[in-house]
Amino acid sequence: MSNKNITMEEGQPRLKRSMGQKAANRISNTVIYILLIVISFIWLLPFIFIFLQSFRAELRGPVGYVVPHTWGLDNYQRLLTSNFKKWYLNTFIIALVVAALQTVIVLCMSYTLSRFRFKLRGPLMRFMLILGMFPGMLTMIILYRVLKDLGLTQANAVPGLILVYVASSGMGYYVSKGFFDTIPKSLDEAARVDGATRSQVLTKIILPLAKPIVIYTILTAFMGPWGDFVFARYIAFGTSSGYNVAVGMFDWLSKDQIGQWYTTFCAGGVVVALPVTILFMCLQKYYVEGVTGGAVKG
Amino acid sequence: MASVKLTKVKKVYDNNVVAVHDFDLDIKDKEFVVFVGPSGCGKSTTLRMIAGLEEISDGTVEIDGEVVNDLQPKDRGIAMVFQNYALYPHMTVYDNIAFSLRLQKVPEDVIYEKVTNAAEILGITEYLMRKPRALSGGQRQRVAIGRAMVRNSKVFLMDEPLSNLDAKLRNQMRAEIILLRQKLNTTFIYVTHDQTEAMTLADRIVIMKDGFIMQVGTPEECFDMPQNLFVAEFIGAPKMNIIRTELGKDGSGYYVKPFGVKIPVDGSKGEALKAKGAATGEILLGVRPEHIQMAHAGDPGAIPVTLEVNEMMGSELHLHVFTEDGTRVIVRIPTIDLEPGEREKLVAGYKMYITFQGKVMHFFNAETEKNLLTD
Repeated sequence: MSNKNITMEEGQPRLKRSMGQKAANRISNTVIYILLIVISFIWLLPFIFIFLQSFRAELRGPVGYVVPHTWGLDNYQRLLTSNFKKWYLNTFIIALVVAALQTVIVLCMSYTLSRFRFKLRGPLMRFMLILGMFPGMLTMIILYRVLKDLGLTQANAVPGLILVYVASSGMGYYVSKGFFDTIPKSLDEAARVDGATRSQVLTKIILPLAKPIVIYTILTAFMGPWGDFVFARYIAFGTSSGYNVAVGMFDWLSKDQIGQWYTTFCAGGVVVALPVTILFMCLQKYYVEGVTGGAVKG
Repeated sequence: MASVKLTKVKKVYDNNVVAVHDFDLDIKDKEFVVFVGPSGCGKSTTLRMIAGLEEISDGTVEIDGEVVNDLQPKDRGIAMVFQNYALYPHMTVYDNIAFSLRLQKVPEDVIYEKVTNAAEILGITEYLMRKPRALSGGQRQRVAIGRAMVRNSKVFLMDEPLSNLDAKLRNQMRAEIILLRQKLNTTFIYVTHDQTEAMTLADRIVIMKDGFIMQVGTPEECFDMPQNLFVAEFIGAPKMNIIRTELGKDGSGYYVKPFGVKIPVDGSKGEALKAKGAATGEILLGVRPEHIQMAHAGDPGAIPVTLEVNEMMGSELHLHVFTEDGTRVIVRIPTIDLEPGEREKLVAGYKMYITFQGKVMHFFNAETEKNLLTD
């Protein structure tokens, strides 16, 4: 009997404390959620703004209100009749080719640096680390000269830009090499004993296990040239047929054009965002964690 | 089904550390050879050189009469089981086992037959469609063995395959490896640091230390006639007692004087010493714990000792005792050999007597640590 009393008396304060803990958790969670909602709203505001403006049919210049008075697809139709089509195609070709080449180069580079041991491996990695500390902009003038001599500027800016983006892609190996390093080497060895060549080890063992990193590599390789402005403007300088979307659309915002092209610019912005959004939505399901579980005894 | 021959095989790492020194070994067809030694002795490195996963710095490795030094692992006709299983986590058990066959472009119906056959032998049929992460340690190791089995390889390499399993499972898998060996009937090279595994599995044991071979021989040879002090202490549990003492000779033959007690070296060992004409003087005397008996005061050759620790192992006792000069000796006594009422007396501080006979003694040179009878 007395035992029972003791446990009940002891039990009650513990219960109270846990309820207090629960309430505190709930309050802090609420505060965090409110904060996050506010931040995400602020963050999304420009996108909502551009999205709404792109459907404005009454005036083509910047105005003092957000919600259009007359809705219409005029701006999107206007995109089709302008140079935008050419720019969009340019950008798409560049981004696609670069994404493909850069992904292959980065993954091969990472695999090599993660799995092979050769004399210059250390110096090479240090060299690239130091090289990476200089901003890419520094190379602009010399790159322009080289490309100019090769005939890859202005109207031929598309292959020129592809060359520029792909040439430096080997240096972006850090993230994927880091991931490859976590895949046990004995898997490679087992596969090699099983009859796989080095490249089969990469394609059949390493890459399936590194899916999230492969997706990440593809996404970043696509997005870099997709949104690039500085190099693209510099290399296509003054020739509209060599522009990508960012460079082309930027001209619409100049003082003498903005009155006529502002809403079309907004429509263009929406169209530019589309493929990246679709790409991301298609690929994000592959971001699965814990694929290496059960490979080797931990 | 092939012989393996290693001639002066050497492994030197980039930092000039020599991991394996001039390794010579002839492994016969269908032989089960175990490399055993403490960690860092070069046993795994040697195995990996045979597999082709480690470059051979010097010497040659021949499989089936063909020098394989510069062949890729896949072209050497070997199969290997890794300590950490190394299963492909993104594939089902079936795909794991079928992987090597698919690379060889074997038709799917043949693959099906081979995989299900291997799975049946290993008792993993019901797990074929699972991923490795849904398996226990023992099941994973079976899959790893299955993966090696279907390759019909000439040589089966195993790198500490049981050391990640718990003790009970290890005993079970050890027995299964013996059965597997009978079924596969191929050449096995097995690496372990566990002398029990080496003793139970091997046709021949290769005992290594610091990159050198210390002894090659059958389990019986290694146990009964260790060529040096290292092998003597490595094989057998608990390890052999080593006593620094004097080997003397008088009219009736050789004798030793451990802790001042004169014990004649009689029987076969005495004869062997005589035949060798062994020099008298300081030696290292080895006696296995199980070869020491309890004695009574006044018995010839009785050495007085004091009990320090009594380890109860069930069927036997491991008694850690120390002599009058403070030397520690381990004695292994079967529990049924104890006289009634004696067991209760065996507590720390108990004064007792031990003795041993000439035929169980091992004699090692005090400087070179080599066995006087084989050197």
